[in-house]
Amino acid sequence: MSGSLDRTQLDDLRQSCVECGLCLPNCATYLATGNEAQSPRGRLLLLGEVLDGRTDASEPSVRETFDQCLGCLACTATCPSGVSADLLAYVRRLAADADPNRRPPVRLLDRRAVLRTLRVVGSLVRGAAVRLLGAGWRGRLERTPGAGRRLARLLGTLPVDPGSDDALIAQFETLDGGGPRPAVSSHHRAPAAGLRVAVFKGCADASLMPHTSRRLQDLLRRLGCELTVPEGQDCCGALASHLESRGRTSRLRRRNRRAFTPHLGHCDHVVVAAAGCGQELKSQPGDLSDMVIDAVSLLERLAPVDLGPVPLRVAVHDPCHARHGLGVVEAPRRLLARIPGVVVLEPAEAEVCCGSAGVYGVQHPEMSAVMGRRKAEALAATGCDAVVTTNPGCLGQIADGLALVAPHIPILPLTDLVWYAARASGPRKEMS
Amino acid sequence: MSTPDLIRDLRRAAGRSSVLDDAAACSVYARDASHLEHGRPACVVLPETVECLRQVVELCACHGRPFVVRGGGTGLSGGALPVDGAVVIGTSRLLRLGPVDVERSRVHAEPGVINDAVTRHALPHGLHFAPDPSSQSAATVGGNVAENAGGPHCLKVGVTAQHVRRLDWIDARGRAWTTGRGAAFERGVDLRGLLCGSEGTLGVVTGAELLLQPVPEATVTLLAVFPSLADATRAVVDLMTSGLVPEACEIVDRVMLGAVEAAFGFGFPTDVDAVMICEMAGSVGAAGEDAARAEAVLRAAGARDVNAAADEDERSRLWMCRKKAFGAVGRLAPAYISMDVVVPLGSLTTLVEDIQTIKTEHRVEVATAFHAGDGNLHPGVHYDDRDQDLTARAHRAADAIVMRALELKGSCTGEHGVGLEKRHLIHHQLDATSLQLMRGVKTVFDPHGLCNPDKLLPASDVTAASPVPVPDRPDFRWKSLTVTAPAATPLAVLQAEALTRGLWIPVGAASRIRAAGPGLGGSVTVGDLVDAGTVGPSLLGSTSVGDALLELWAETGDGRIFHAGAPVLKNVAGYDLVRLISGSGGILARPLAATWQLKPAPGCVACWTWSDVPPTLSGESRRDFLRVLRRHGQPAAAVRERASAGPVLWVLAAGRDRAWDLDRLGDDLTAWSEDHGLRRPSMQRQSGSDLANPSSLAGLPGWACGSPDWTLLTRREGHPDWPRPRRLIWQNRPDLLWTPEVIPEEPVGWFADTVFADGRLQSLPRPPAGVPVELLVGLKRLFDPDDRLPVPEWLAAAREGGTW
Ligand SMILES: Cc1cc2nc3c(=O)[nH]c(=O)nc-3n(C[C@H](O)[C@H](O)[C@H](O)COP(=O)(O)OP(=O)(O)OC[C@H]3O[C@@H](n4cnc5c(N)ncnc54)[C@H](O)[C@@H]3O)c2cc1C
Ligand code: SF4
Ligand code: SF4
Repeated sequence: MSGSLDRTQLDDLRQSCVECGLCLPNCATYLATGNEAQSPRGRLLLLGEVLDGRTDASEPSVRETFDQCLGCLACTATCPSGVSADLLAYVRRLAADADPNRRPPVRLLDRRAVLRTLRVVGSLVRGAAVRLLGAGWRGRLERTPGAGRRLARLLGTLPVDPGSDDALIAQFETLDGGGPRPAVSSHHRAPAAGLRVAVFKGCADASLMPHTSRRLQDLLRRLGCELTVPEGQDCCGALASHLESRGRTSRLRRRNRRAFTPHLGHCDHVVVAAAGCGQELKSQPGDLSDMVIDAVSLLERLAPVDLGPVPLRVAVHDPCHARHGLGVVEAPRRLLARIPGVVVLEPAEAEVCCGSAGVYGVQHPEMSAVMGRRKAEALAATGCDAVVTTNPGCLGQIADGLALVAPHIPILPLTDLVWYAARASGPRKEMS
Repeated sequence: MSTPDLIRDLRRAAGRSSVLDDAAACSVYARDASHLEHGRPACVVLPETVECLRQVVELCACHGRPFVVRGGGTGLSGGALPVDGAVVIGTSRLLRLGPVDVERSRVHAEPGVINDAVTRHALPHGLHFAPDPSSQSAATVGGNVAENAGGPHCLKVGVTAQHVRRLDWIDARGRAWTTGRGAAFERGVDLRGLLCGSEGTLGVVTGAELLLQPVPEATVTLLAVFPSLADATRAVVDLMTSGLVPEACEIVDRVMLGAVEAAFGFGFPTDVDAVMICEMAGSVGAAGEDAARAEAVLRAAGARDVNAAADEDERSRLWMCRKKAFGAVGRLAPAYISMDVVVPLGSLTTLVEDIQTIKTEHRVEVATAFHAGDGNLHPGVHYDDRDQDLTARAHRAADAIVMRALELKGSCTGEHGVGLEKRHLIHHQLDATSLQLMRGVKTVFDPHGLCNPDKLLPASDVTAASPVPVPDRPDFRWKSLTVTAPAATPLAVLQAEALTRGLWIPVGAASRIRAAGPGLGGSVTVGDLVDAGTVGPSLLGSTSVGDALLELWAETGDGRIFHAGAPVLKNVAGYDLVRLISGSGGILARPLAATWQLKPAPGCVACWTWSDVPPTLSGESRRDFLRVLRRHGQPAAAVRERASAGPVLWVLAAGRDRAWDLDRLGDDLTAWSEDHGLRRPSMQRQSGSDLANPSSLAGLPGWACGSPDWTLLTRREGHPDWPRPRRLIWQNRPDLLWTPEVIPEEPVGWFADTVFADGRLQSLPRPPAGVPVELLVGLKRLFDPDDRLPVPEWLAAAREGGTW
């Protein structure tokens, strides 16, 4: 862990950067600003200067570049020289240490009740905005200076909940034309070999998108999994660790270990819906991390074969946690390929972070908005009918960008699409 | 003027958020991929528009402030490093990429566009941007032009300069110019060629009209494993001289393989001395057959295993490993010196062996991955920069390698440029006169030395290399695929000799010139060709005369003899005087001798003729026609004209020594005719050896296998198969394509039409608007101060009217 790096280790790590610059086009902060100080190589060069005592980490411009790193790991994923994530974590730590006063209230952000309230208020405000300003409400709000703009941004950081089953079905039916579906064979897949799966709910997933979270469980059950939802589980700790709140991070980790340990003996997997939580849990030492699997990989492994046709062109956005952190790239594509009629489109700059990155959107609203918009443009340029992804943070961030550049394109959780396809194939009652 | 004043003015012009003078930016922009350090900038400007960039340069000029442009900062020679107090102008916000012009295979790009992005943009149209430096995912078009970047796939189709048709640029005073119209037949003092590879020291590139190449129908990528590195390098020479034209031919040595394998786990054998990646492309049948032949050549040369990449996925992983090899060296040691020496192909093995000796002598480690087919090596001396003694030895070893390459008539740099890094070496390569001329060129373009100072040219007190004697007789170096000859040598003599080995100087079939009659008769000489610098459809697959010209000896108007270039396939040491002189109509210097590249000559030639084409072809039939031409790998040209007897369309194609290549093209052309309601074309075919026998070519249209300057024939009034000046030309490779809209109204001008008439070289036409005549006047004064060489009228007039 970066906290325990000694000087020699740090020097060695730093030397691994050959300054080739190949990582620049993958870095969202560089793309947003065009400023190399805001690039991976720039940050590592500055780190070198700080370590050599040539520059002071508290110098505002240096701190700013460190501070604005998303921690998305897109750079380490392309680096031919093997520059490690630890180095970047260290960079971000330096920024936090240089200015300890800038921590937003973590507790608020990972308390479920607060998130739930935010969701309810958010959807009320959104509804009001739609009524007042019409379909292009997001753009109009953004153009009003001051409070309107801030409100727009705040709403933007909240994932748009796809809503109840009926709402979701209605949304899909408008998208795919809702035409008559070909009759589905009566063959019904026998439950898979009875996997026992413990569910990690994750605060954002469970609170901001409760229906999606439930639908995933429906789906898993239908595929023959036996589910347990351990009591006493808490936020994964990713947000707290983003904010370098060490005490809080380890408290949360302890709590989750306590909640899951009794179940680990008699279950095959711990399934996690949000890629962010998945990576956080995987990165912790212990038995829990070995059993963690992300929802998409699990679904793909369960190989649902009787998915109904959904004639949609969908662009896939890989959350950085999945793509760069866990290396999950193929699974979502293989899963989507099982849905007849779905055409998968790959956007340009697929490796680049959308700018959500935990609490980044709250800390750096301007920068994050630029990134979200750029990502939305790249996704819209594929000519897709809808975008799918697997992380609630990305969902909100990209929805916000899409609202500005292509309001007709919705973004939905990938598992909701699979749920819809499964429903489209089988008897309805089972799924609702 | 003071820095705060400068920054205030810059902010006013470029906007507050585009001018950075904070500590972080100034530190970061003081570095690039070269690991060198030079000075610290006063500020960094990131203009959002070309006009804004122009104003920034103008302000620098007003304030007397040095400036340097920076693209992706991937340069390996320190080209983008500022001097103390300079303004760094970043192009990271100049990212506009124009629509792909499919018919003309062109696209216009702003300087900050990343190389990769051009190809991604063009791929949906079946086209791509050929130069593919290993840094292509991060390097910019501006940086590629400035360094004249190459890459593995430049072996067949040439480096960046061959893929740039026109540059928009800003001079050191902040004035916006262009280099011409971007036509395929442009003729004149080649400012475009001069700016390519000038490392940002002559001006700022603000836009480039890039030439795109068709994506081959099929590609076969071979991975050959060699137990010995020497065998692998010998195999390269065998392969390159076997008549095959590989798309790419790369070697990775054992040390580098270890690093690459550690980084990417491709599954390379690590117990061998070298692996070679060799790629053959073309139509489905051709690529497969060529690959089988290549495999046989490689096995005969000692390859242990030769395997083709199983699928596109494996192929792209293979190239990823090759392209990221450089970065993977970071896993071997904290620092490395990356070199890019070039030697004539025939000396490749010698240099590779000598590097081993140098390595042992200096007790250093060297890892090599190189563009073997070009004779361009990338020995990387890696070391730990915390060990001072080792660091010193590493640098001595690197210099020793460069000096050895120079002894072998090579160049100190084939791709990365001189920059800061090789300033202390370049004078070992250039003679005093060419150095003096290069300094002069710099002064003409940048009299106050503000534009990227301290780069490319050596310090003023160095001793230049001794002059290379002017050759007095033709010298064919078959293993290096070059021929050197005095200027008076008739081209036909050289071609006839080359054809005996199945090679030719790729500027058209000269034998025909001999028979061509009144114009130049049999007398076109090497010198004429250098002066004329023309291209024509009979070039079939090469670009311009300048592209095949590697080395030049010439005499300035006042009798100074200089040597430019080197007998190697890639060279970016100093300004490209070879291109500057080639095609300049003899107004700057008198050629004394030249070295040309030899390429496999066509094995057969076929010509299809339609005499019933309508005056205009519909867009759809034009597109289909192009598709047919592009699908076939072999070079082809189409010529269309409004002849008095009715519109005629010809297609001329050269194939290798196999008939079926051309049969397939013929079938497709017939099908195209039928689809679009035309009568089948008539077809004429000649074998390659006929090219040396003019009388057997009588049936082909005159231009088809005629002179390198095909328009020569247009001057021969009364000849039955003369094309009239109004015509339409397509060529699948490169882009000789004019649509009716862009046929110039006046057929004379900056076009090849007026190169030769009555057997004499015509005086150089007036350059089109936007080309800086005053800089041409400056160049003329530099090369020919007393007007002993021809002075075109427009130039004389400009001189009289101007203040220069
Ligand atoms: C890992 C790696 C692999 C590489 N492989 C290759 C290779 O295979 N082949 C190869 O040829 N090179 C290679 N290079 C070198 C380098 O990538 C090329 O020289 C590239 O063209 C530089 O482009 P850039 O945009 O990074 O330019 P920069 O490094 O930013 O600048 C290079 C020079 O170009 C000038 N310049 C930049 N933009 C402009 C402009 N708009 N107008 C005028 N001047 C300008 C700068 O002033 C400077 O002198 C490699 C580098 C790395 C790090
Ligand atoms: S982090 Fe890696 S990719 Fe980026 S500059 Fe350093 S070595 Fe190159
Ligand atoms: S982690 Fe993300 S934001 Fe930070 S330097 Fe790397 S690519 Fe850029």
